[in-house]
Amino acid sequence: MPKPKVGIFSLTCCEGCQLEILNCEDELLDILGAIDLVSFGMAQSNNLDIDLDIAFVEGTVVQRSEVAILKKIRDRSKLLVAIGACATNGGVAAIDYDKDREELKRIVYGEAGDFIPSITPAALHEHVKVDFALQGCPIEKHQFINAIGYLLHGDLPLLPEYPVCTECKRKENECVLVQHNIPCMGPITSAGCDARCPSHYLGCDGCFGPVDEANVAMEYSIMKEKGMADDEISRMMQVFAAKSPIIKGQFKGD
Amino acid sequence: MKIVKLPKNKTNDFIEHLQSFGEVHAPQKKGKKSCAFQPVTDPSKVLIGEEGFLRTILPLKKYFHKPVDTLLKFSPKTGFEDAYEEEGNKVIFGVHSCDIHAILSLDRVFSGKYVDTYYFRRRKKVAIIGISCVPDDLCYCQSMGTSFVEEGFDLFLSDVGDGYLVKVGTSLGDDMVSSAGDMMTGYGDSDINEYKRRINEFPSLFKTKVDEADLPAILDMEYKSEIWEEMGNRCFNCGICSMVCPTCFCFDVNDEVCLDGETGERKRCWDSCLFKSHAMVAGGHNFRESRADRFKHRFLHKHQAFMGDFGRPSCVGCGRCTQDCPADIHFVGMVKRIKDDITCVHSGEEEK
Ligand code: SF4
Ligand code: SF4
Repeated sequence: MPKPKVGIFSLTCCEGCQLEILNCEDELLDILGAIDLVSFGMAQSNNLDIDLDIAFVEGTVVQRSEVAILKKIRDRSKLLVAIGACATNGGVAAIDYDKDREELKRIVYGEAGDFIPSITPAALHEHVKVDFALQGCPIEKHQFINAIGYLLHGDLPLLPEYPVCTECKRKENECVLVQHNIPCMGPITSAGCDARCPSHYLGCDGCFGPVDEANVAMEYSIMKEKGMADDEISRMMQVFAAKSPIIKGQFKGD
Repeated sequence: MKIVKLPKNKTNDFIEHLQSFGEVHAPQKKGKKSCAFQPVTDPSKVLIGEEGFLRTILPLKKYFHKPVDTLLKFSPKTGFEDAYEEEGNKVIFGVHSCDIHAILSLDRVFSGKYVDTYYFRRRKKVAIIGISCVPDDLCYCQSMGTSFVEEGFDLFLSDVGDGYLVKVGTSLGDDMVSSAGDMMTGYGDSDINEYKRRINEFPSLFKTKVDEADLPAILDMEYKSEIWEEMGNRCFNCGICSMVCPTCFCFDVNDEVCLDGETGERKRCWDSCLFKSHAMVAGGHNFRESRADRFKHRFLHKHQAFMGDFGRPSCVGCGRCTQDCPADIHFVGMVKRIKDDITCVHSGEEEK
C-alpha cells in the first residue's frame, strides 16, 4: 500500500500546533516512515500543492484570502482534520468575533489597519466540512500520533467523549474546584490532555473545547457561586471556544 | 476468632513489620487537603487514628481494577500477548469497613458468570488490614449496613484508646501477628469494656441516616418523578461520582494502534453510565439519550437493580460521590427526597 499523502497547514495562529508536531522528536522518524509528508510549512521547503489523503489544518480564518486557501485544501484532500483550539472552535482570535472589525483594526493598528483585509474570525467548520478535530491549545502529541496510527489502520481515531474530570479523577487528583474553590472548566471540557492544568492546581481553561452536551448553564451557576462576575465567566468560556456550536450564541447576541 | 492487642506506640513498628508480607500501602496525604492509599516509606506519615482521615480520593478498586489497564498487545505477525506484568504482594493498611464491603461487592461482580482474571490476578495478591473509624456528616454506612464488617479482612484493628484490638480474619493475618513478637500484647478487662462502649456508642455518632427499606419498590413507583429531570439539569455527566465510587465497576475496552497501523494495545479504562457514549449502540441509537435518563440509571443501579442481582444495594454509604460532585448533588438527600416526599411530581400517569 502506498504511503498516504499528508499535508500540514497553518492559517492565522501562533503555529503552536505545528511546533507540537515537531516536538514529537522520538516518533518523528516513525511518523515520516509511515506517511508521505508532502507539505509542512514550518519544517520543510519544496512543499507540493497536490491531492492529499489527509490535511491537518491549524489556525483561525481571519482574512478573505484564507477562506480561499482553506477551500483549496479541502478540495484536494480526502480527509480534513482541524488541529488545535483555533481551527476547531475559533480560538483566541475569535473571542471578540461579534465586535466591529473596522473599529478593532483602528484600535490595534491605527491608520495602518485600513489596509488589513480582516473578516469575521471563523473556525474551519464555518467555511468547509471538517472530518474530525484534534483539540487543545496546543494539541497533545500523543493524540496526534494515535490519530495517525488509527488513520493508517483505516479508522477514525477514538477520542475521549467525556469531560476532563474523568481523566483528573483517574489520576487521583484532588479537585481544584470542589476542594479549593478554583474556577475550573473541567466539568464541561473535553478530556484528552490528561488533566494537565488541574494536575498543577490550576483550573482547566477549557482549551480542548466544550464536551458534547456540556452543561454550560450549570457551569455558569457554579462559577457564580465561586464568586466570579458574569463577564469574567463569559470571557472564560469564550477564550478558546467562542465559535464552538455549544458556546456560540450563549453569551453574544447572535 | 483470635484477638490480640496492638498498643498505639507500636503501630509504626507493626507497619514496618508488615513490609515483610508485601509492599505496604496506607492512607497518606495527597495534594493539599486530601488523602490517598499510597506506598509507605515512612510509617509516621500514615494517617490513621485521631489525626486520621475518612475517605481517600480513590477507593481500593484502583489496585485490582486499574483506572487504565493495558490488557494485551497485538501484532499481525505474532498474534496477541498478555500485557500483564507480574506484581508483587501488597498489604493495604487502614481500610475502613465500608471500603471492605465495597471490595466484597466487587469480588461478587467480577466472579460472576465470566470470572474476570484481570481483576483476580491482582486481587489475590493483596492483603487487607482494616481499621475502625469515626463518621463525619457525609458517612451513612450505618444506613447501608456496611458500618461493621465480619469478613474480607486479614486483620481488623479497632481503636480502644491506648491501642487497637486486632481481630485476626485469615491465616495470613495470623502469620502477621504471630511473627510480630512482643509488638502484640494480650488485652484486659478495661480493653473489653472500652471496645463494648465504643461499639454501643457508634450508631449514635451518625448524623446522616437514610432508611433504605422498601426503596427498590418506591424507586419503581417514582420512575416518572420529575426529580430525575431536575437532577439531569444539574448533573454535568462528568463521571466523577463513578470514578470515586468504591463499587462502580464499569469499564470500556479500546484498541490503540501504533504508527505502523498494525500493531497495538488493547486497553480498558474506567467508564461511567453517566456518559452519553455508555449506552450508545451501532447506528447512533442510545438507550439513555438524556442526562436525566443517565442520572436516573446510575441512581437506580446503586439502590435498586443491584439489589435484584446481589441481594443488597451497591452503595456502601462512603459519601465520596456527595463530597466530590462538582454540581453539588447530595445523594443522601436524593434518597431522602424519594423516600419521604409525598408531594413528588410525576411527569406521566401511564405505566412505564
Ligand atoms: S459527580 Fe455529580 S455532576 Fe458529575 S456525573 Fe456524578 S452526579 Fe453528575
Ligand atoms: S454511591 Fe456514593 S456513597 Fe455510595 S458507595 Fe458509591 S461513592 Fe460511596
